[in-house]
Amino acid sequence: MKKLYSNKWVIFTLVLPGVLVFLFAILAPICLSVYYGFTDYTGMSEENFIGLDNYVQLFHDSAFGRSLLNSLLLAIGFICIQHPLAIIVAAVLDKLQGKAEGIFRCIYFIPNVISVAVIAYLWKFIYNPDFGLLNNVLKIFGFEGQVNWLSQQNAIWSVLIVLIWHGFGWGMLIYYTGIKNIDPVLYEAASIDGAGWWTTFYRITLPLMKPVIQINVTMAIISALKQMETVYLLTNGGPANSTQFAANYLYQQAFKAFKYGYGNAIGVIFIIICVAVTVLLNTVFRDKQEA
Amino acid sequence: MKTGRQKIGKAILWVILIAVAVIQLFPLIWLIDFSLGSSNEMFTSGLLIIPEKIRWDNYVKAFVDGNFLLYLKNSVLINTLAVVLVVIISIMAGYACRRMRWKLNNFVKTVLLLGMMIPIHATLLPNYKIYHSIGVIDTIWALLIPYVAFSLPQGLFLMTGFIESIPMELEEAAVMDGCGIYRIVFQIVTPLLKPSIATVAIMTFLNNWNEFIMASTYLSSPTWKTLPFSVLEFTGEYSSNYAVQFAVMALTAAPAVIVYIILNKHITKGVAMGAVKG
Repeated sequence: MKKLYSNKWVIFTLVLPGVLVFLFAILAPICLSVYYGFTDYTGMSEENFIGLDNYVQLFHDSAFGRSLLNSLLLAIGFICIQHPLAIIVAAVLDKLQGKAEGIFRCIYFIPNVISVAVIAYLWKFIYNPDFGLLNNVLKIFGFEGQVNWLSQQNAIWSVLIVLIWHGFGWGMLIYYTGIKNIDPVLYEAASIDGAGWWTTFYRITLPLMKPVIQINVTMAIISALKQMETVYLLTNGGPANSTQFAANYLYQQAFKAFKYGYGNAIGVIFIIICVAVTVLLNTVFRDKQEA
Repeated sequence: MKTGRQKIGKAILWVILIAVAVIQLFPLIWLIDFSLGSSNEMFTSGLLIIPEKIRWDNYVKAFVDGNFLLYLKNSVLINTLAVVLVVIISIMAGYACRRMRWKLNNFVKTVLLLGMMIPIHATLLPNYKIYHSIGVIDTIWALLIPYVAFSLPQGLFLMTGFIESIPMELEEAAVMDGCGIYRIVFQIVTPLLKPSIATVAIMTFLNNWNEFIMASTYLSSPTWKTLPFSVLEFTGEYSSNYAVQFAVMALTAAPAVIVYIILNKHITKGVAMGAVKG
């Protein structure tokens, strides 16, 4: 038995596909990025080795700074607007019984299964100054004047609204699952003691949901960092980099501005930031859990 | 008194639920409504329009000129292959890392899970170069390889958790009967993993179905393009015919929404299991 389970050849064949995929699709490109990050490669001509020049330039690049700031704004938007709403809706939904519960849960998640391509173009139309839905809604409430939602000042907020709207169902579903896992006996005990809805929510639901909230917050921050596709189609980082995000910026630099080397340098820093933030969040939350 | 307060409380609950449902759903209703009218009818100050004549021909145009069938077929094929590969590879690797006895098992597992932290978009530039030099640009491999690679860490993570919970006794009995490891993995362990396979499949599908940035970077001809391209390519072609653009968006969104509504219970369960553990 022991011999069977430590057969080196069998182990090798079992892990080989996974390791090959990792080496070829994740490790090799990262190594290549590190290499090109040290060059001035444009995508066509020969590359020259330029040492740390790209990284020095990146350090002074205000557009990259703006990208990180936007990720921070998005993360704050997720945590301060989307998640409190999601928790409350999940708690309310949990109180419903019967068919309505399933129907609402289904409705809230629908935007999540729709392609980002459709979502981005749809919202472009919603923000359209001529026949867009949003200006028409405002008119009903008595506001006149056509708001330019994608102007330099407004664009980042408009982008945040789309992202918060699109991801709402996902966050809600996870909180909902967390709430469903809470032992109903606790609620019964609370209601016997005469606790109202708010007290029950604040004293029982929230504290017991702490691990779920931590997971959800971690995922929100990371997805705020990694945001690209919606922005790419909605504003492509513009006007004037006001809605820029790191992933979109590196793509633009490499394929539109023909600074492939510089794009890769951004990629390397971007990977380091993502890994560092993930590790940091995991350690912070793990320490808290043990304390 | 108490019943009065309870009634008000109930009413507030319903208001919250319905308000959120309207916010989540109304843009989609607007989309379908406008897709059935003509472009001229859109310049209204009302929220919705009642089309003079329902224009199904918008959808016919979208279906034909948006290459809908071809792109749908490509999406289904590529995503199914990616799901199958992710499931098989993660069961194999998960079994080796959890059950087999070797020194590096934890190290290999940690390394493979590292992929979860790497932002996909940072690999777009170097992968473009790599795929170009080995000649897989514009082939199905240019999508399959990264789709499998970036769903594998999550799949592996979920699978190792589930494999651990399978009682060892079953395998011991199989070994007594002279079963080899491969047969244990594929004939005894795999059938027991059915619920987890469903979770991994759903997560992989949701990850990749709507992906387009890799597809638009690595593909140039329509041969393997996926469903989001119906929308992406259409806006240029019909830039002034908004109604047809709305139709193509609704049409592109439809398959996933319909499948979701039919399978909603299973998908919800899968996402909940996958996301809470991942």
